[in-house]
Amino acid sequence: MIGGKRGVRSRHIGSHPEGWARYDTVQKHTREYTLQRRVAPGPSFRMGKTAAAFLLLLSALPPVRLFAQGDLDRLALRFASMTAVTGLEQAMVDSLRALFPGSTRDHVGNVTLTLGQGSPKRLFTCPLDEVGYVVGNILPDGFLLLRRVGGTGRTASPLFDQQLEGHRVTVFGARGAVPGVVAVKSTHLTRGRSAPGTPDPVFTVDNAYVDVGATSAAEAQGLGIAVLAPVSLAKRPQLYGERLLAAPVAGRRAACAALAAAVQAKPKVKGTVVVAFTVQSLYTSNAGLASVKALLGPFDDIKTAALPARYADTAVETVALADADRLVREILQWMEGR
Amino acid sequence: MADGRTVRRAVGDVLLAVCLLSAGPPDRLSAQDSTRIAEAQAVLAPLVESYGVSGAEGPVREAVKRLLPSWAKSETDTAGNLWVRVGQGSPVVVVIAHLDEIGFRVTGIRDDGTLELETRGGFISSLFEAKPALVHTDQGDIAGVFLPRDSGFTRHTPPPLRVDVGAGSRAKAMARGVSAGQTVTMPKQYVRLSGTRATGRSFDDRVGATAQLIALRRLDRAALKHQVIFIWSVREEIGLEGAAAAAAALATTPRRVHAIDTFVSADSPIELPNFAVTPIGRGAVARALDNSSITPPAYVDSLVQVARARGVALQVGTTNGGNDGSEFTPYGVVDVPIGWPLRYSHSPAEVIDLKDVVSLADMIRAVAETW
Repeated sequence: MIGGKRGVRSRHIGSHPEGWARYDTVQKHTREYTLQRRVAPGPSFRMGKTAAAFLLLLSALPPVRLFAQGDLDRLALRFASMTAVTGLEQAMVDSLRALFPGSTRDHVGNVTLTLGQGSPKRLFTCPLDEVGYVVGNILPDGFLLLRRVGGTGRTASPLFDQQLEGHRVTVFGARGAVPGVVAVKSTHLTRGRSAPGTPDPVFTVDNAYVDVGATSAAEAQGLGIAVLAPVSLAKRPQLYGERLLAAPVAGRRAACAALAAAVQAKPKVKGTVVVAFTVQSLYTSNAGLASVKALLGPFDDIKTAALPARYADTAVETVALADADRLVREILQWMEGR
Repeated sequence: MADGRTVRRAVGDVLLAVCLLSAGPPDRLSAQDSTRIAEAQAVLAPLVESYGVSGAEGPVREAVKRLLPSWAKSETDTAGNLWVRVGQGSPVVVVIAHLDEIGFRVTGIRDDGTLELETRGGFISSLFEAKPALVHTDQGDIAGVFLPRDSGFTRHTPPPLRVDVGAGSRAKAMARGVSAGQTVTMPKQYVRLSGTRATGRSFDDRVGATAQLIALRRLDRAALKHQVIFIWSVREEIGLEGAAAAAAALATTPRRVHAIDTFVSADSPIELPNFAVTPIGRGAVARALDNSSITPPAYVDSLVQVARARGVALQVGTTNGGNDGSEFTPYGVVDVPIGWPLRYSHSPAEVIDLKDVVSLADMIRAVAETW
């Protein structure tokens, strides 16, 4: 059915190549991390000849444990396809525990794994969680309303919620994942109903009506949906260019994948290394990391995995998996005390 | 640097990996479907998952041809419309659904390798912003992303969108196979919702195309008293261009035309209830008045009688938008469009009820056999 404007040719005004979370913001977010890829100002994933030569040298060094690039890519894709709304990370935690037999889950939800023994005792962490949503209410006609979770102290962009509008979401109900969509006005029915110059406010979570196809609250509840069920955009990671991975929170997930790949490479660690995939980093007091320190510390050194990301906080947050390769090597070197 | 083929392979790997590893919901919850619902889904899903921006409908046209009954002889006209003629004699009746979908076309490649775009059809551009993108080429799809805007630009509507395929330069983008004129969309998937409902992009008008296919498959050709021409048209979203070519070719020959197209429904908590309130799941809709045509009331009454006689669910209403049938009316042909209710039209998450697809197919068959 035809609708709206016809054949309007694009003109490009005022768009920034780094998107609404500009790169300086990304760097600010990651400044606290001490073990991350160093990058020049501005996002560039191209590798120069010097870097290539350096990598060749690195690969020739005997103590470096082996890991396969394909394994890392699979882990990054797997993690990027998962959802872990802050404070409600159970499903991803379960997956990690299955990935690492011998790992433990503490009462807060962190997954920890202890490698080696003796001193020094060091901690390597990676936060799992993401800003997301929970079901806040179920209406009599079966539509769901949402509440955003997380983002305190790392305020979501004013455009963060708008990514939901007119897109597929997943509701993680008691009976499994339930597909739904966030309602959007039909293009055709908006025509001629707003005067020129009418305000054009951004979409917020308070406008989000989730349609799971149910015609009543009872039908929605029959799908296992209840208040507090986690909700996220449907995760469909996309690889493009030269091993660029685009997905919500791709930076965090690729960094965690790098840490997981390093563990899978079976490093000969110096002393004791506790590996912790932490929860609740985006909610108030970063209770996950604090718990690990309280329960398993003190530690002689603490590092956190992080990677630079382009288009941060969007559904196409992009990381270069080549950066993740290098992060794996750096983690291995740190674990082995080299 | 990977070439375009490598990237496409990588995209395939990603999709496979995601299918295998994702903890997401199943896409097709159809264990309890009736035979008719299962049939509707089996035809609709592959059409929805084919890509065909206005002017580049080839993949959808080929998918329709594959789904035609074996007896049907199809032909493609110079505009790109697909025709199937059934029966003999007058008055000739035309049913027409469109193949194309909204999207973008590449208009240029910047020095930094990002693609400039123009829209094809009308839609809310923010729905594509900061989402995965696919550039459709003759050699396959090239993955990319629609660029997000600058954080300082805080209003609902973004600046004109561009696509990043990760090339970094114009030369590298071109080396991957990108060129001006190619079409761009985002990845799409047919997914079942609760009950008999489903979501996807381009239900407008793959549902119409599906209903015509099912009607043809179930048609009692011996019952036809006149010729019925089934047309799957092109370039509807950019101005009914395929229909215009078909109408010109047929001129005054047809008696009636039935555009089989979306009835944009206000069946949603965020729409105004002034008109178009036809709930999904309650059957096809006589689209008696829209922005391009008005059906003579006597014809609406006749359509309702046909539905009643065959026991087919039919709603009557008015909505916005234009339809292919309106290109035939200047030749003295009466346009009696039949729609199906759709929520969230022209969005990546349109929602339908498969019961309406069945109803629509039955309505087309009834019109062909009895009116």
